[in-house]
Amino acid sequence: MLTLKMIRDMARNKMQFVSIFLMAFIALFIYAGVGGDWRGLKHNSDSFYRETNLADVWLYNDGFTDAAALAIESLEGVSSVERRLELTVTADNSGSSTLTLYFVEKGAISKPYLMEGEPFDPEDKDGVWLDKRFADANGLTPGDTIGASLSGYSMSKTIRGLIYSPEHVYEAGGDAMTPDFAMYGHAYLSRKAFPLPFLFRYSAMLIETESAVGADFEERVADALRGADSSYTVYLEQANHPSVSIFENETQQHKMIGDLFPVVFLAIALLTILTTMTRIVASQRTQIGVLKALGFTKSAITRHYTAYGFFLALAGAALGAALGPLALPSLFFPSLSSFYTLPEWETAWSVAYAWAAAGVAVMCAAVTWLAVHRLLAGAPAETMRPKPPSAFRHNPLERTKLWRRLGFNAQWNIRDAPRNPVRSAMAVVGVFGCAALVVCALSMNDSMLWMRVWQYETINRYAAKLAISANASTAEIDGAVSEVNGEAVMEASVEIRANGVRKSGALLVTDGVTLIQPTDVNMKPSAFPDGAASITLKMAQSLEVRQGDTVQWRVYGEDEWLELTIGGIHREPVSQGLTMPRAYFESLGLEYRPTAILTPEVPPALPDGVDFATLTSDSAADWDDLTEAMRLTIYLLIIAAAILSIVVLYNLGLMSFTEMERGLATLKVLGFKSGALRGLLLTQNLWFSAVGFALGVPGGLWLTRTIVALSGETFDFPVSIRPLTLLAALMFTFGLSLSVNMMFSRKTRRINMVESLKAME
Amino acid sequence: MDRRNGDASSTVKEIIRFENVTRRYGEGGHILYALDSVNFSINTGEFVVILGPSGAGKSTLLNLLGGMDAATSGAILVDGKDIAGLPDDKLTEYRAAQVGFIFQFYNLIPTLTALENIALTKKLVKQPMDAHEALDMVGLADHADQFPAQLSGGEQQRVSIARAVAKNPDMLLCDEPTGALDSETGLAILEMLQRMSRERGKTVIIVSHNAALAEAADRVIRIRSGRITGIAENPAPKPVSEVGW
Repeated sequence: MLTLKMIRDMARNKMQFVSIFLMAFIALFIYAGVGGDWRGLKHNSDSFYRETNLADVWLYNDGFTDAAALAIESLEGVSSVERRLELTVTADNSGSSTLTLYFVEKGAISKPYLMEGEPFDPEDKDGVWLDKRFADANGLTPGDTIGASLSGYSMSKTIRGLIYSPEHVYEAGGDAMTPDFAMYGHAYLSRKAFPLPFLFRYSAMLIETESAVGADFEERVADALRGADSSYTVYLEQANHPSVSIFENETQQHKMIGDLFPVVFLAIALLTILTTMTRIVASQRTQIGVLKALGFTKSAITRHYTAYGFFLALAGAALGAALGPLALPSLFFPSLSSFYTLPEWETAWSVAYAWAAAGVAVMCAAVTWLAVHRLLAGAPAETMRPKPPSAFRHNPLERTKLWRRLGFNAQWNIRDAPRNPVRSAMAVVGVFGCAALVVCALSMNDSMLWMRVWQYETINRYAAKLAISANASTAEIDGAVSEVNGEAVMEASVEIRANGVRKSGALLVTDGVTLIQPTDVNMKPSAFPDGAASITLKMAQSLEVRQGDTVQWRVYGEDEWLELTIGGIHREPVSQGLTMPRAYFESLGLEYRPTAILTPEVPPALPDGVDFATLTSDSAADWDDLTEAMRLTIYLLIIAAAILSIVVLYNLGLMSFTEMERGLATLKVLGFKSGALRGLLLTQNLWFSAVGFALGVPGGLWLTRTIVALSGETFDFPVSIRPLTLLAALMFTFGLSLSVNMMFSRKTRRINMVESLKAME
Repeated sequence: MDRRNGDASSTVKEIIRFENVTRRYGEGGHILYALDSVNFSINTGEFVVILGPSGAGKSTLLNLLGGMDAATSGAILVDGKDIAGLPDDKLTEYRAAQVGFIFQFYNLIPTLTALENIALTKKLVKQPMDAHEALDMVGLADHADQFPAQLSGGEQQRVSIARAVAKNPDMLLCDEPTGALDSETGLAILEMLQRMSRERGKTVIIVSHNAALAEAADRVIRIRSGRITGIAENPAPKPVSEVGW
């Protein structure tokens, strides 16, 4: 019979119970959905790495001998090693695609993952296993042949299979931030397929270790190689591998969203459930007394009321946990898969979803329990009487002159709000949550737009960057520079260390450059220091150095560490490292060799000695693509914020309306018009919205900063929000708040004075 | 058994005894004695009326007897057992098994129909009266599927009586059962309660401020400002219908 009572009570308060269901559903939908997304990324990449036995460490040199390989293989903790020759060649398919070729010894570490065709054969002299995305973009299929020129020697191989490489989950050739699968690819071949055996040497050694690489591993590797009369120029651990680390950053960023937002949602959901259940239980005060008087035990009554929230919250949460991981990843993965290459894009399930769903239901039951418990503590005779009105105290404001000038509307609300502290607090929290999510979403969008302007309009004043061929002569370079009216620069990868921290970064050596506009720490146009090196702000922060401090650095692949004093700090959004003028670079005894030409306009044709051109407009478009996934998150957040706030505010509105109904009815009897009553409700609502919004702005910016902090070390991502955007967020929040209010305003017209003012019962 | 024939002392059994029962509210300077050293006893099957003005302590007395409130001091013996010192769970058992409450404002569960309100008792006692039978007893068999809001005040109170009786309790405690009803309906309710005593042997205790009811009672307990001002046994109680209402 009590079950029947429960079902009917729910039907009577259906909006409130629907909101409990919805809140639990949304909270879990987001939690498990984003969980399915980032866990899916992690799971899919981990299993890809595991299946292909991704190397734990890469060593580079100009030739690793058998003795060197043996020395490393016999190191403690090393399970196997494999060598390969890495070459970058120009493919002869259509135009000048760049292919990285791996001539592998065994194909047992960092194995190619077969997508189509025959499995990789390390003995095959004529076959090539080509990057599937490159093949697809260039219309190549197994059985086709592909040629390339190699040190003046052209070779041609038959495509045996199409593969994915675990080292190319993220592939960015050249300067582009987004992969250009038609222009850049890779291929696996047997070392026996190398056309010039007498020139063959292993340029890379891949190490598979038994467990995580220890801190002293690099030293032990160096010692072992020294013992074999060998050495390395580059030592790269898996976590630092560009493809691995960029994908890991992406995953971490998703995880961050997955950790942070659901907490906001869960917290608001639980608060709403708490308020709702407390109110429902309070409204049943006399019925609880009656049940008690009839002889129902406390536990039977508690079970009865606890069941209200528990099953609904459980149903909502379970549905959310089941649908979220199906829906959200399928929203994110398509855009991610255009950047990253993984054989599988599947959502991941975790027992954590079930726990979270159970947790929400249990919390819901717990808050109900608390509410019922309080009422049950009283003697039935006391509980059966309606709750005495809460003690009323005059507030200090009432003694001021201002009070009389406030008008009835404000006076009523100033007195009413503190009398219902929980409801007031919930309204503020609801608006706060909504505003924080909207501000976070919009500020993320603004920040990305700002970065686009900053990088591609302020800093990059060139229209195109031409990549100089590795074998171009000085005369060719000079000719090209004058032909396109450009400016030559040298770009390289460097390692920088200071204060015990070692970072990889970019080096730019300028030679009177005007087409790059440096910006200072406030992102305002400035100039590079004369005759000295300048470091980017984020790099300086990572290394904990300031202007005037000394850092050690070296160009990637060089043995010797050099020292320099930081002459200035500049700020860049998408690349971190050092910039120095040519004269300073050469004064260190280094050879200046231009690698790129910046041009004020897009050249009609590529001059000799130039491999390819990267257009600034293309890069800006790339940036838009790159931020596509982020934008999806933004839309999702805004939708979620809207649903959340509508549910919270409607629910609270319903409660406050019920609570105020008697008062409103009295006013109506006295002769107040509906419009005046609407004004009363609206005033309070606007006040709470204002407070919630004022708190939500810093809250939202904090959320954005927290997410952005995970965008990786190369990005310097200042969080900004435009005044106009802020206004949009304000209008969105208040708009929602007002439209929810409108629903109740209609009700004021329909207040039944007789019914509302009937005696108790 | 018919107590109206006079000599029934051999079959009379005491069911309730209040010994020096005090119920005090408040602390320090603001002490209010709702009941002050109250003593009386009631026999099984009696139709008892507790009379007194508003605020006299009538309801407090009833609440204490019903285990809905706790006495500050004194003993409340029901069937020889002191319920004043019982822990909460024992009080709940006591209420479920021995007490049927009838309130001034009926206190039906608004979301349950008339029949369902009565059927609630199935959850409380092992052998309750059949809900249909109970509803028939109060003349509302036709209203089984109606919700409280669809019933008149008198009908609601009859459902409430049926609910109380369906538990098969030893006593029915009625707090101003006719207070919210018109006189005609009120009379019908009181007749019904008297029948419960006469025909079913229930001990019926009615709290009222209507002195006319005294003529119908086996025993009248008068109370004022928390103290008993008089206890009278009525050797020849009239049927409720004959009382000047």
